[in-house]
Amino acid sequence: MQRRNFIRKVSVTLASVAGALAGISFLKQFTHGRTGSGRKARVGRIADFPVDTYTFLEEQKIFVYRDHEGVRAVSAVCTHLGCIVLRTTDGFECPCHGSCYSETGDVRSGPAPTALQWYRVEKAPDGVIVVDMSETASAEEKFYLT
Amino acid sequence: MEERSSNNTPPGNHPRQQPGSQQPGNEGPVKSPRQQPGSQGPGKTVRQQSGGDGPGAPADQYRRERIRRVTQNFFLHIHSTRVHPHALNPTYTFGLGVMLGFLFLVMIITGVLLMLHYTPSVDAAYNSVKDIVHVVPGGRIIRNIHRLASNFMVLIVFLHLLRTFYTGSYSGGRQLNWVIGVVMFVVVLLMSFSGYLLPWDQLSYWAVTIGSNIAASARELTDLLGITRFADIGGFLQRLLIGGETVGQEALTRFFMLHVIFLPMTLLVLTGVHFWRIRKDGGLSRPKDEATEKQEKLYSWPLVMWAELAILAGVLAVLVLLAFFVEAPLLEQANPSHPENPAKSPWYFLGIQELVSYSAFAGGLLVPVLFLYFLFSIPYKDREEQYIGQWFSGSKGLKVTWKAAFMSLLVVVLQVFIMVRFGWLRDWFPGISQWFVLLFNPATISVLVFALYAVRVGRKSGSARMSAMALFTAAVVALILFTVIGIWFRGANWEFIAGG
Repeated sequence: MQRRNFIRKVSVTLASVAGALAGISFLKQFTHGRTGSGRKARVGRIADFPVDTYTFLEEQKIFVYRDHEGVRAVSAVCTHLGCIVLRTTDGFECPCHGSCYSETGDVRSGPAPTALQWYRVEKAPDGVIVVDMSETASAEEKFYLT
Repeated sequence: MEERSSNNTPPGNHPRQQPGSQQPGNEGPVKSPRQQPGSQGPGKTVRQQSGGDGPGAPADQYRRERIRRVTQNFFLHIHSTRVHPHALNPTYTFGLGVMLGFLFLVMIITGVLLMLHYTPSVDAAYNSVKDIVHVVPGGRIIRNIHRLASNFMVLIVFLHLLRTFYTGSYSGGRQLNWVIGVVMFVVVLLMSFSGYLLPWDQLSYWAVTIGSNIAASARELTDLLGITRFADIGGFLQRLLIGGETVGQEALTRFFMLHVIFLPMTLLVLTGVHFWRIRKDGGLSRPKDEATEKQEKLYSWPLVMWAELAILAGVLAVLVLLAFFVEAPLLEQANPSHPENPAKSPWYFLGIQELVSYSAFAGGLLVPVLFLYFLFSIPYKDREEQYIGQWFSGSKGLKVTWKAAFMSLLVVVLQVFIMVRFGWLRDWFPGISQWFVLLFNPATISVLVFALYAVRVGRKSGSARMSAMALFTAAVVALILFTVIGIWFRGANWEFIAGG
């Protein structure tokens, strides 16, 4: 084998290997999937949330709703373009492009593609309410007070 | 080497050398040091203008001096030594390209000055901009000039695009330069968008939140197809842009880097290539008729310099004067839990924001990408060179333009009227699939109608140029209309307001 052919083959092989590795790690990005913020937030004790009220938590960008039965948590991030929705008398409305959501977070009008996300709520051993933002829940599911 | 190259090049490419080699002695003994091959203009049609002057005649000396001024100066040799008089016609170019060059220069200078005082960190950015406005001597004016110049840049780059299109200046070998120009248009928009985040006030935070979620809105499509888990393109784009799912320090760092290094460098290089291509393509476009071709070229020095100096002076005067009266906005510090209501982007993005209020994916990604694809493809679809250098391709084209503009006006206003007055799909059929919301909204319907209209114009006239004019005009008029609606007719919660 001539020297130049050898060098050519080696460089092509090395370049292909490097390219394949780079390509695989690049494509891995796409399979990341939607994780939410993927964290649990300790949001306070039950007594911190007035009954029949949506309490907005700034840091987590969620509404925590308490009724006489239990506690539920819903994302306050509009599914359209990520603005923070406002509470209205019968649901939620986004100030950015006017998407309207019902009481259960379903899209009623506007450009939002999906419903607001509800999160699983549980209680830590020390009695603090924990919202698990990696676990989604249905709108009816709540943490029942005992 | 020089003699040989002048003999080998096609006739006319080195206008000064060729006649010189045919008439030895005419150029005199000073010929060779001035004939660097690279310093010649494209000048395909330059005629030898030496006439009967001898080598030492004062008139000849004078011409040499004019050429020398351009070729021997690093900064001026971007010009050709001679230009066609048509290129200096003020109502042909309006000097828009030169204006953009100067505005870019102003942006760089004021930008560097601002950078001396700016801190790109979430905690310090807002206060450093506040300091620039209230503490740094002259800082307020410099910031105002920077912001005004960026606004003018966006406006003028758009007008420059219109000028180039409507004079048919993309064909006749200028295809590549048109494509470069469109890329530069996008870079200018990105520069201004990336600069928007830096003050870290309410305006910037929410505009960029919306912008990054537009990138993420590819999920709207992948969700519908059920493939987000395997191919989360939207999420990838968003993470690439802001380094996470929400706008924070990573986003600020990235945008700062984009704004002060990557994008300006890109624009600088593209500007160089853009100017270079103009000369390689034989100067600015001009009609291909005999009368125009017959006109003698003029020496660039000093005519072009005077024209450019006038434009520079005008640009600076307008900027400095306005900077005293038009304040660059600075709202309260960014608050990630309370959006402004309405949260509006800068005015030149409000057309797109109006479109995303119909559907994030269709309005924010699909339609803009289709529009860019159309812009890139124009010079390769329309190769009719007889229209080069004619505003609106003559009276026939002007008629096509007016008709398309009127059609676009009708289509857009009608749809927005229906939407405001009677609602849209979701109001009529609650629970309708997102597919319909994505596929049937004023953004996508307009694109469809315009495309069909352009095809019809093309069939009727048998001219790709007329078809392109119809589609381009319709798209531009729609863009302007949506922008106007976004600026003046959208209030809190993006609700329609009559003339706010």
